[in-house]
Amino acid sequence: MNIAFLSDIFYKLLSGVPLTLNLTIVSLIGGGILALLLNSMRATLVGNAVASAYVFLFRGTPLLIQIFVIYYGLSAIPFIRHSFLWTFLREPYWCGLLALILNDAAYTSEILRGAFRAVPPGSYEAAKVVGMTPWSTFRRISSPIALRQAMPAYSSEVVALLKGTALVSTITLMEVTGIASAAVRETWRAIEIFLCAAVIYLTLSLLVTWLFAYAEGRLSPWLFREAR
Amino acid sequence: MNNTNAKPAIAIKALRKSFGPVEVLRGIDLTAKDGDVISMIGSSGSGKSTLLRCIPMLETPNSGEVTVGDDHIVHNGRKLSKSDNATARGIRRNLGFVFQSFNLWPHRTVLQNVIEAPVHVQGRRHHEATEEALTLLEKVGLAHKRDAWPAHLSGGQQQRVAIARALAQRPKAILFDEPTSALDPELVGDVLKVIRSLAEEGRTMIIVTHEMGFAREVSSRVVFLHQGQIEEDGTPEKVFSNPASSRCKEFIGSHFQRNR
Repeated sequence: MNIAFLSDIFYKLLSGVPLTLNLTIVSLIGGGILALLLNSMRATLVGNAVASAYVFLFRGTPLLIQIFVIYYGLSAIPFIRHSFLWTFLREPYWCGLLALILNDAAYTSEILRGAFRAVPPGSYEAAKVVGMTPWSTFRRISSPIALRQAMPAYSSEVVALLKGTALVSTITLMEVTGIASAAVRETWRAIEIFLCAAVIYLTLSLLVTWLFAYAEGRLSPWLFREAR
Repeated sequence: MNNTNAKPAIAIKALRKSFGPVEVLRGIDLTAKDGDVISMIGSSGSGKSTLLRCIPMLETPNSGEVTVGDDHIVHNGRKLSKSDNATARGIRRNLGFVFQSFNLWPHRTVLQNVIEAPVHVQGRRHHEATEEALTLLEKVGLAHKRDAWPAHLSGGQQQRVAIARALAQRPKAILFDEPTSALDPELVGDVLKVIRSLAEEGRTMIIVTHEMGFAREVSSRVVFLHQGQIEEDGTPEKVFSNPASSRCKEFIGSHFQRNR
């Protein structure tokens, strides 16, 4: 082990953190919006079938294959190569991001669905019986309760997505894992380099976990604080 | 009542309700005048809770009419129209409803539970609603718990908050669906005391209950339901001491025997 080499590689890997975070955060936003759309589709029979098929497809196949299909597969379709989509889909960044968004949406929509189903029926009835409109009930009663209930599962999804971004290194994106594998190819010092990368992911995961624990405490104080 | 021509607070006509093949309500007519305290008694499955839940349309009746104040809905088995839904909301705004299982919103404090409907449904000012809510919480003996979470209260306390929440709507009438059935025996008294004080204020109430002694004391009228029909309807003295129907006699007899 060589401290100078370690710190050198550590700084190199850190330069990949912005891209890792960028992919994670943008995917969470995009995936979250798509998940909400998927869930609102479930109100109708056809929409429900479409949403279920979507979730089945994206949860049932490896993220790596989804990335490859989008990056290598779509470029093989002439229609796409000749459309405006090509300005985005020829870039590995947009392909990777698209795969992550689509994948995250499937998981997040399932988390949301479970959370909304776990809202106590009595809370809906109490809202109905005071004369609330369905929209107010959604806004003021069911969403706040459901989102709080979704937090523990959602924090796992955020960590899973954070680690999932490592897979876009296979389509040439130089985030933390991409930089690490490039460095390994140059130096053949796999253990030091990959351990360094692991420490970075571990730290980020820890931050996410703390953030969610804090948010949970703020959002659901009755679970943590004693009565005044 | 002084004014016999006054509009009834709640009027139910020829109400029928089935769950699948089971007909739970088989033509109910019931009128509550202002100031009436009506207790509904009957064995489990007699339809009393369903009847109560049909008034604010927590259940949709198959047929019949429901009138609350000026709001009137005719059910004919078809899907409710947009204007029916608006009328239903009007009915609900004029009624307080107290559930067996309290149903406080877990993400709101005691005070927030009480002011939710006044502020966000009825559009009253926040500080006015808060002031009124504190008076109501005082009345149910829980002003000191204004900032507590429902999860931190006992069942009896939660139910008293639920009663304050119902009162905060300034309802024309309050409906109680077995308000003490989910409570530990030693907590029942506090809740009954609050309901009794409301009866003494002359509030219009319909109470579904198994507390026979309580029903006998506070009600102006007692209704006995059997298999989806009103079998007996009269003053507490008449229904409890001298019922015309043999089924009612049997039911009441078994109850007072058990409680002895």
